[in-house]
Amino acid sequence: MKLHIAVALAGMAFTGIALAGPTEDLARTCNACHGVNGVSVGPSMPSIGGLPEAHLKNVMLQWKTDERYSATMGRHFKGYTEAELSALATYYSKLPYVPTVQKADDKIMAKGKEATDRCETCHGATGGEPDDAETPKLNGQWAQYLELELMKYRNDAVKMPHKKMRNNAKKLADEDVAAVAEFYAAQPK
Amino acid sequence: MSFNRRDFIKTVASTSVIVPLAACAAPSGGKSGSGKARLVVVGGGFGGATAAKYLKMMDAGLDVTLVERNKQFVSCPLSNEVISGHGKYEGLLAGYDGLMKRGVNVVFDDATAVDPASKSVKLKSGTSLKYDFLVLSPGIDFNYAGIEGYSEALANTTHPHAYKAGPQTLALKKQLEGMKDGQTFVITVPPGPFRCPPGPYERASQVANYFKHHGMNKSKVIIADANDSFSKKGLFEQAWKRHYPGMIEWVAGAAGGKVVKFDAKTNTASSDFNDYKGDVVNIIPPHHAGMIAKSTGLTNDKGWCSVDMLTMESTVHKDIYVVGDSTVHGELPVYGAPKSAHMANTQAKVAVGAIIAKINGVPAPEPFFVNTCYSIAETDWGFSVVHIYRAKEGKLVYDTKAGGISPVNMADESALKMQRKLESEYCIGWFKNIMADAFA
Repeated sequence: MKLHIAVALAGMAFTGIALAGPTEDLARTCNACHGVNGVSVGPSMPSIGGLPEAHLKNVMLQWKTDERYSATMGRHFKGYTEAELSALATYYSKLPYVPTVQKADDKIMAKGKEATDRCETCHGATGGEPDDAETPKLNGQWAQYLELELMKYRNDAVKMPHKKMRNNAKKLADEDVAAVAEFYAAQPK
Repeated sequence: MSFNRRDFIKTVASTSVIVPLAACAAPSGGKSGSGKARLVVVGGGFGGATAAKYLKMMDAGLDVTLVERNKQFVSCPLSNEVISGHGKYEGLLAGYDGLMKRGVNVVFDDATAVDPASKSVKLKSGTSLKYDFLVLSPGIDFNYAGIEGYSEALANTTHPHAYKAGPQTLALKKQLEGMKDGQTFVITVPPGPFRCPPGPYERASQVANYFKHHGMNKSKVIIADANDSFSKKGLFEQAWKRHYPGMIEWVAGAAGGKVVKFDAKTNTASSDFNDYKGDVVNIIPPHHAGMIAKSTGLTNDKGWCSVDMLTMESTVHKDIYVVGDSTVHGELPVYGAPKSAHMANTQAKVAVGAIIAKINGVPAPEPFFVNTCYSIAETDWGFSVVHIYRAKEGKLVYDTKAGGISPVNMADESALKMQRKLESEYCIGWFKNIMADAFA
């Protein structure tokens, strides 16, 4: 356990973007859309640094094989090998998760809290403590991105895996979708 | 997945072998062979700014100078949306403070000449900068002589091309806003390769969008094209049919679309076969690599810079790396790298990796080039093209199994609408991130 931390620190000390060469070279190209160290500054693009490794790996491989609908990423990932995607998932999961806290007014927060009742079992009360390694963190993620993802889960015409997520997303009332996104986006942890 | 002590040592050892420069850049005072290397970057657009930033990020010990003419950068991506009123001009701007904070020495001057023999760059102010490695990212310049009767003077006054974003973007916007219902907007497209392959067609969409939302349904856009096909053609044509039926007419080169002459007095652009008279005529003149690339002797007979496909080093002069719109990179016209902001960004990163490897006497890392290019045809109606290029047996190869354009048709209408909505939003997110990736 101590060694784990030592390795992480040894990596961090170099430049902040660390570890193996080829993966870092690949990851540098991701910065154009997802930000340096996977911290996005564009509200429709998710921050990806510090998300759980298993979650990242799942989603990336599903896009590559079209098991999961994507508007753009599937076309990218068909150009990467499975090994490269796995290495990228590992690389990004080791970076710190940097929430971008977006304030929302009390009314929206109250509405969001109520509507996220059904999300809590898997994502935790604030989205910061997911139940398992395959579930993404949501706290401080970009609200617009979350809303767009929910739109995908709520549309039966495209292929989205994870039945439970699909069902719960569809149970949300139309007018609650934005509030759910804004509620998680406002959470620091 | 637990580490033992030996693994730990191996990891640390291999890390420091693979990323020696990063290690050198650590504040512990480790000496870097690259510490004294002088890097000069000419041109602070998407390519040059990204190169300057990543040189510093990957080896803080490098001495990096960026030479740029303007104190403020104006982005071409999203400038068509400014013309139509969907975006704000201020949103296109970036300064160079972010790069300065990273330790890049930013010099606001005009680079007038490069001497590859003495490895120096001459500036308009009289000083010159010595370099060990030069990154040239001069973008494009226009060949006004390519359209008889058109000129730089016209472009700067009555007939903006607006194909370099800036005051001309606002001038063209003003002309559009002055139009009346029933009037015609003509766009002329030069022979490829030109910067932003879908740019003219996105512009046509945005102009039609303005007409549609300002009660000008009898107005028309005519695209007189020197070429016989265009980027994302199926996607644009679908969007035009859905959103602007009968409003946009495209004339292929083979059908007489190649404009060679312009008469400013009658506002008529002419090919060898047809005349295109417009109330607004937007001439996009042919272009070539930025002048400094030409005067340095880096351009080929077609006016573009040939580069080593895997490192972006000029094939003419050693230690000069050329990135962005001024290069010809890959097999044109089908599988060549498009002249886009994203391509410039990815080329800059590859050049930086190759330069740092060279300084340290190690082989250049395997290059990876990626392009994502979004166009917005109407509110909530965006689409993209993705390109992925990799090195195979020493050559740059376009990956035909990956990439490509957004689906034109989808089985379900709600899925299609969602796809277009998603990409119109991703376009804006992409823009914010790529601006930050270059300038912050």
